[in-house]
Amino acid sequence: MEPILQVKDLNKVYNNGVHALRNISFDVKPGEFLAIIGLSGSGKSTLLRCLNRLIDPSSGKVFIRDIELMGLNKRELRVERKRVAMIFQHFNLIKRKSVLTNVLFGKLGSLGTLSSVLGVFSEEDRQKGLKLLETVGLRDKAESRADELSGGQQQRVAIARALMQDPDILLADEPVASLDPATSHSVMQYLEKANRELGKTIICNLHFLSLVRQYATRVIALKRGEILFDGDAHEIDEDWFREIYGDDAKEVEIR
Amino acid sequence: MKIGSEKSMATTPRKSRFDNQVDTPKNFEASGIYDTLIRQERRRAYVGAFLINAFLGFYMAFGVYFLASDFQGLEMSSEVLGFFFPLSLIFSYFWSRSPHSIGRSIIERTNPVLKSLRTPQSPDSQFLRAFTKIITGFLLIETAVLGWVITEMDMYALLSYEGLQGARRIFVSIFTPEWSILGMVMTTMIQTIFIALMATLIAIPVAFVGSFFCARNLMKNSKTGLLFYNILRVIFNFTRSVEPLIWAIIFSVWVGIGPFAGMLALMLHSVAGLAKLYSEQIESIDRGPMEAIEATGANPIQVVWYAVVPQIILPYLSFTIYRWDINIRMATIIGLVGGGGVGTLLMQYQGLAKWHHVGTIVIVIAIVVWIMDYLSAKLREAIY
Repeated sequence: MEPILQVKDLNKVYNNGVHALRNISFDVKPGEFLAIIGLSGSGKSTLLRCLNRLIDPSSGKVFIRDIELMGLNKRELRVERKRVAMIFQHFNLIKRKSVLTNVLFGKLGSLGTLSSVLGVFSEEDRQKGLKLLETVGLRDKAESRADELSGGQQQRVAIARALMQDPDILLADEPVASLDPATSHSVMQYLEKANRELGKTIICNLHFLSLVRQYATRVIALKRGEILFDGDAHEIDEDWFREIYGDDAKEVEIR
Repeated sequence: MKIGSEKSMATTPRKSRFDNQVDTPKNFEASGIYDTLIRQERRRAYVGAFLINAFLGFYMAFGVYFLASDFQGLEMSSEVLGFFFPLSLIFSYFWSRSPHSIGRSIIERTNPVLKSLRTPQSPDSQFLRAFTKIITGFLLIETAVLGWVITEMDMYALLSYEGLQGARRIFVSIFTPEWSILGMVMTTMIQTIFIALMATLIAIPVAFVGSFFCARNLMKNSKTGLLFYNILRVIFNFTRSVEPLIWAIIFSVWVGIGPFAGMLALMLHSVAGLAKLYSEQIESIDRGPMEAIEATGANPIQVVWYAVVPQIILPYLSFTIYRWDINIRMATIIGLVGGGGVGTLLMQYQGLAKWHHVGTIVIVIAIVVWIMDYLSAKLREAIY
């Protein structure tokens, strides 16, 4: 199968001299649920942000299908970004706006500047937004302010916002890192739903191996900006674990 | 860059506060962030320390220069100043190399990163430490004494019988106001309040738009952006450093003496002041929502409108009310230089030495400013 995303020799050196990514290359096939694991500071978040150029890599190439992101100008990049949605550790909703409006923000890329500044969304979009809220089980919260919701609910709104974009790929930057274990599973299940039922390719930074084993179809482990492991989640045994997280590390399970 | 305790750091690695904040110090050090951060912090601390030392150095050098030109009739020429200025700079530079200089000891004791790295016993000799302490003490005392002489402090003028008589005269006059002119005072006071209102209202949209171009975090990504940022910063900084009173003098020549000149002066200063407060607010916003909106493929205008504006709108309101409050205060005295309103009236009565009339105006100003101050504080409380 043709890969939906190709990463070739990606390097990122920050202005303060930190070498965050070193020669990262991998392919992602459509429909994969790819988890990226590694210590804090190993380059996970940088890698994810290079995939939609929220951060510009220092060198290397990123292909989405056959379009190379680095060669695009700002306008073309915005068109490509519509196909790559993203959710974040801290949800990043617009707190003072309603839940439905936050979901509709997923459509901003397809909307003219004037109509979006005036807040005019088409009836079709509104219906779609409400339907997506139903998908994540928050239909009754549509008119609430985003900051009235709990953490898990906010992350579900963020998922709905991402799906509003009609993306091919969904990037998730530690989506459950600031949630409790029970809520974590609920959010992961909605991601799984997006993956299995809607056929979205998911690339997700995760901390807990137990979550990785349960949900991901493939794992990439980063250490000091390099790929250390690439394969099935169940292949990561004690030795690999020590290799990735250091000798002192102990696996914590989340049920 | 050589800074004090680096030597001892190399031999005995110290636990710093960073070790507790970061989950995996080993990995952190390996990525080079640890060293980079400490180096950055040291550089910043050194600049701060140098500035503190230089302030004391400048005060001392310029004090000596002033006295020399005042008493000895030394020519106030640029050559003499050109001698003292670099001299104090050189002095401050060398002084900043000592960890016991006043700047270094203040900064290194308060900086959250460096205070844990500061060695309790420095390798310097006891003699050196005592010597720098004596120099610090001497400089502080010498600067204070110079200041006393230069500002012509005169305890006799303040507390002599004639002085106190004058004080009694003016206080008695002010507190026995001439109420017959109250109507006229109130009329001009209303003009003053409107000067402040118009100055604030016109300043808001200009400062609002300007603030986005003055926010480094929004502008740093493109060359044209940075150019705009720097040009606007220079213009606004200049506008702000010139007091509204001086702007009023300029505008009173431009558009003629009267409330319009005063309003323009306050408006110009408010634009610069508000733009600074506004843009600092933008610089401190949470980047997360910006990333999220950007990731949807939104264009920069949409990002600003939906991710930046909702975060800043309440602080903006609060700043604006505060500025309006300041403007009322400023509007009362802007009339002193021809800016219209109650200040112009005050100026006239003061020229005629009608102290009872002056007293009326002072009391009205005090009451109005006090009420506005109270209302503005209440309003800002209600917003947050």
